[in-house]
Amino acid sequence: MKGAGRLYPWSQRFNLKLLLLVLAIGLGINVVGVGHLLLAVRSALSTADLQLLLHWIGLLLLVLIPAAGIYSLVSEFAFWEGWLEGLPAPSTLFDHTPAVAASHRCYLVYLDGIHQLERDHPPRVSAFLELLEQQLAAETLLVRGLETYTVMPVALAEDAGSAWFWRRLFALQEQHPNGLVQLLAAVLVQANNVIKVGISSDRRYGPILNYELALKISLRLAELGFRPGGGSRIVLTGYSGGAEMAMGVADYLRRITQAPVSIISFCGVFSGNQVLDQLSGITTIVGSKDPVAAFGRIAYPGRSPLLPLSNWNKALSAGRIQRDCIDGMNHNGNSGPFSEPFRLRVIKAILAALALPVAAPERTGC
Amino acid sequence: MLHELERLLDGLGGWLIRADLGLGLLLVVGISMSLSHVFALFANRLAARQIIWRLVIDALVLAAAFLLTSSIDMVLLNLYGSNPVHPSAFVDGIASCLLPACFYVAVAAPYVGETMGLVIWVLMHLNVITFVHVRFDLPWDQALLLTTPGYLLAVLLVALLFRQSWQRGYAMLASELGQP
Repeated sequence: MKGAGRLYPWSQRFNLKLLLLVLAIGLGINVVGVGHLLLAVRSALSTADLQLLLHWIGLLLLVLIPAAGIYSLVSEFAFWEGWLEGLPAPSTLFDHTPAVAASHRCYLVYLDGIHQLERDHPPRVSAFLELLEQQLAAETLLVRGLETYTVMPVALAEDAGSAWFWRRLFALQEQHPNGLVQLLAAVLVQANNVIKVGISSDRRYGPILNYELALKISLRLAELGFRPGGGSRIVLTGYSGGAEMAMGVADYLRRITQAPVSIISFCGVFSGNQVLDQLSGITTIVGSKDPVAAFGRIAYPGRSPLLPLSNWNKALSAGRIQRDCIDGMNHNGNSGPFSEPFRLRVIKAILAALALPVAAPERTGC
Repeated sequence: MLHELERLLDGLGGWLIRADLGLGLLLVVGISMSLSHVFALFANRLAARQIIWRLVIDALVLAAAFLLTSSIDMVLLNLYGSNPVHPSAFVDGIASCLLPACFYVAVAAPYVGETMGLVIWVLMHLNVITFVHVRFDLPWDQALLLTTPGYLLAVLLVALLFRQSWQRGYAMLASELGQP
């Protein structure tokens, strides 16, 4: 980010083009390799058309999944390089005039699940958040409308490199007469957010994405009047993939804001790879009938009891993690946390977690 | 003296011509591996020109590293194996075994990348063991023993090269954040 001011627009464009060229060469090598492999497969299985088709699909996925993941990394690293404008350096985020009594003692930051497409949350989530906001103490401010899965301060439909693609996909999702096409478009949009969850949990790329997201959250907090040293605390509450993003950004947010940070996740799917030992507390609210959250425990080895030295297991054995189970709750839909039968119970669990004592500043390192 | 040097260079030229397929494949493997950690170079906030240079140099270093590990396999086979080994034929054979690493660029993918990397490394070693077993009529256990030192060296060299880049990137991130 320091270098951003030194680069001219033409050189920014050149750098982006260069990055795309490098990726294209990589993809080209992959395609050539796949071509050779396909020749071998075709000669070996010339009579079995179905098998060949399956191989085609498998190989295509083998190329497309990494290619989509790699493309998703481009904006994060272009941002980190300073080729794109947007986020300031941590030292310039907050107003450093002497702190007066803070208007809010607690900032509750909501990070949505992978269904989030834009700043506005889906209607069910908005209704849930309004209900939660009504029940919060006056000293607690709910921060909502954060785009959890983009580091850029623009929506997906305005992204410089892929706006045309997302606009087309959103149009298909909303207007196409065929339900299957609508479903496929919705899955593709959510796949983008799933990839971001994957990046956050990746030990190579996670630190940079999580840092950028922490800067984005800090910027929002600064706009809302948060000031380091004002005695306020930050609570990140994440639903589904939002829980992974919360775990990823928490330690960076703690360092940037110099405030105690805790996490409340509900129906969370997270890796447990992140640095958790300096957090003020972690509460996970889970549904007894939530298959997605249960899948997260299998998909992420860091949460397996077989790896007792993982960050998650160390935090668990140190007693820093509280678990609250809600009987009969599913991941989404009519038995999900935003449904009428369960939302009040989830809100009650969040309020109970908020009321838990906060670890002393000596322990949090703030 | 000059004649001796000329003879050596002729020999080297002839070997390079005979082993051109293997050397070419090693270079492709090097490029693919080098591209797989392009984001580590971005994490270091290098300029565009520096990134290109690093990619080229890393590709050559990685190709040379695989050539070195192949040489170790060849020397061990010459010392302990029963059949004579011709260097160019051996490099060609070994390089074909490294074919899965042409896809190593996919290791750059988030989350699934490291698993793909692991699969590629295992496949490469299995290929080399099978090649040595079939080509030199060695029992499986001997083939495993003779090829493992070179393989371990390759893993170590690649891990060291990539780890250094990431560590520098994270140090830059830490310096931006300051101390807690």
